[in-house]
Amino acid sequence: MSTHQHHTKDFLFTYVFSTDHKMISKQFLITGFLMGFIGLIMSTLFRLQLGWPGESFEIVELLMGSWQENGVMNPDKYLALVTMHGTIMVFFLLTAGLSGTFSNLLIPLQIGARDMASGFLNMLSYWFFFVSSVIMLISLFVEGGSASAGWTIYPPLSALPQAIPGSGAGMTLWLIAMSIFIVSSLIGSLNYIVTIFNLRTKGMSMTRLPLTIWAFLLTAVLGVLSFPVLLSAALLLVFDRSFGTSFYLSDIYIGGQVLDHTGGSPILFEHLFWFLGHPEVYIVLLPALGITSEIISTMSRKPIFGYRAMIGSMMAIAFLSFIVWGHHMFLTGMNPFLGSVFTFTTLLIAIPSAVKVFNYLTTLWKGNIVFTPATLFSVGLVSTFISGGVTGLVLGNSALDINVHDTYFVIGHFHIVMGLSAIFGMFAGVYHWFPKLFGRMMNNNLGNLHFWFTIVCSYGVFFPMHFLGFAGVPRRYYTFSEFPMFEEMISINEFISIFAIIAMLAQLVFFFNFVYSALRGPKAPMNPWRANSLEWTTPVEHFHGNWYGEIPTVYRWPYDYSKVDSNGDYLYGEDFIPQTTPLGKNEKDGGEH
Amino acid sequence: MEENIKQMTTSAEENINYKEELKRKTSKPLIWIGIVSIIMFFGGLTSAVIVSQGGGSFLAIEMPFAFTISTFIIVLSSLTFQFGLISVKKGNFSTAKLSITLTLVLGLSFIITQYMGWTVLHDNGYYAAGKDSTQESSFLYLLTGLHVVHLIGGLFSLLFVLVKTMKNKYSLETITGMQVSITYWHFLGALWVYLFLFLRFIIA
Repeated sequence: MSTHQHHTKDFLFTYVFSTDHKMISKQFLITGFLMGFIGLIMSTLFRLQLGWPGESFEIVELLMGSWQENGVMNPDKYLALVTMHGTIMVFFLLTAGLSGTFSNLLIPLQIGARDMASGFLNMLSYWFFFVSSVIMLISLFVEGGSASAGWTIYPPLSALPQAIPGSGAGMTLWLIAMSIFIVSSLIGSLNYIVTIFNLRTKGMSMTRLPLTIWAFLLTAVLGVLSFPVLLSAALLLVFDRSFGTSFYLSDIYIGGQVLDHTGGSPILFEHLFWFLGHPEVYIVLLPALGITSEIISTMSRKPIFGYRAMIGSMMAIAFLSFIVWGHHMFLTGMNPFLGSVFTFTTLLIAIPSAVKVFNYLTTLWKGNIVFTPATLFSVGLVSTFISGGVTGLVLGNSALDINVHDTYFVIGHFHIVMGLSAIFGMFAGVYHWFPKLFGRMMNNNLGNLHFWFTIVCSYGVFFPMHFLGFAGVPRRYYTFSEFPMFEEMISINEFISIFAIIAMLAQLVFFFNFVYSALRGPKAPMNPWRANSLEWTTPVEHFHGNWYGEIPTVYRWPYDYSKVDSNGDYLYGEDFIPQTTPLGKNEKDGGEH
Repeated sequence: MEENIKQMTTSAEENINYKEELKRKTSKPLIWIGIVSIIMFFGGLTSAVIVSQGGGSFLAIEMPFAFTISTFIIVLSSLTFQFGLISVKKGNFSTAKLSITLTLVLGLSFIITQYMGWTVLHDNGYYAAGKDSTQESSFLYLLTGLHVVHLIGGLFSLLFVLVKTMKNKYSLETITGMQVSITYWHFLGALWVYLFLFLRFIIA
């Protein structure tokens, strides 16, 4: 083989069809961020319509063509954008982008393994995700446009190809893309679980695992249990669309014509969808919570408060997430008694959530806090997790939910508690593990700038939505100019849109920082944050196998920060004790009690 | 990957040991977790049947006798496959070859009896889809059909095991692949028994 050929082959297997978990992690990160960026632009476009309904933005026409004729957004395309924004953000950025990046990067590095259980399956997982992303984007360009029935794709809009323009080819591609996505997610989760259970290094007991790993483990378990159910829901939908079955369709007229369908019920779809849909919220959230636990402890130079309570509360959240799906369906004619059962289970989630928040705050309390962008985003997550969680109590309660169901109150709630918390966790993770990912440091000043703009603007966008919701403003409407009672709300919408535009621009700072630092940033030292966990014992440069020679043995939990002896001096002379340091005499392992 | 691992370990032999150990440690948990996700998939579908039935108008469907025969066939095939594994462990390779071949034949006949069952259903006016189909008949075809789809995957792994047995590739140390295949095959049998009983008592 000539050298040239050899090089091409090397390139192909190092960067494209890599089985190295660190490369796959970067692939997930970059694909996820690109999808996220597209989702962000979409939201800015429909915020223009909501803030200044009917006004002409001719400059946007350059980008959108016939979607934005004469500078005004086409109503059908508005629905398409809302749908695709939701789909992309929930699944492609916050499920695959977040879990795919950090589970892949951190699981082998933090448990002390050379790679995932199956490098091949791992590669397959990424490529399924990639293909699914491409198909989802192609669906924007088919006749009738992309799926437009909302990211929850309720039938009959999604089940009858002739229902609305987006119900045709766009919906078909949506279902194909999501099926491939589910396969990707399942393969990934399988791999994560098996790796965590079977490939831990010597001494790495379950109670010495960093909380990130516990979070990724529980996330993967949720994925394995809930995504197959979404697949079954999608399959029934495909049959209804293409083969004339009636799983979700009962007697129905369309354009004056009676259809053949009989006997089915769209409520069935809601049951199946939300059986995935609610655990999905925690699939998105748990990795972010795990990342935050790790960063808050490292950066406040204190052991995490209540390590076992953290694990217990994550387990409780994961378990409860399977028995609360009915709270999305209070208005489907559900038996009120059943509704109160779902209310009860839903409100129970407040307990483990509160435990987590309490532990974050007590870890930070009197800590010797190092303010990096990662710290700021972690604290930001704690803030959004509280403010979004509190409105969750309103929505989880059936008596209150009925009043604000399908209004902007719901939009405000889930964007803060799920969207912002998860993306803050993801940003925190990127800032914190950037040295591990790219061997270089990000710029802190730009990071801080990015944080402050992002948090102020996000609250500026999502907080006022609660007031819109109280006033009864419904979600997914193209314009409110036809409703006299909502006329007063137009200024709130304008306010929101201005913040949305600034928030979008603030993300450009991040993208610049990300790309510039990856190429030109200062070289990273091996352990820049003086952290304890195993990933910081690997060399800065990447190679397949992670450690030269033997994999280190672990002797203690990862949260021994600022540990002092009886004289008040730091043990071993530093304010951190890596997991590879053997326990001294009379020294106890923190995870054990 | 190989190059670096070679660097880290001392010899190529250890590299092979590493791979063999990795396979031994991880392939069984992988198939078990895969099985859990398939259980959730069918769990979703069968609970969809129950939810739909709660809506009212489910009519009883007469289950074809072929499905009862196929239940016996698949249970028998599990036994022959298990017998094959025991024979390999005892070093009795000719018996192993025979029983694994028999398993494959039984697996294929299962698909044939399922097909016969669908023919009977179709002739009795129960359709999978279309204007005259009902929700209960669609569910019946869907559940049995998806089981066969999963079974085809099992047949491929069975074929793989058969080829390896014929080539005398199995020994006590390298039996993991066969054990994984057998786990999946038993699961498919159990899944069918569950579906059969479910359909027998819920739809039929």
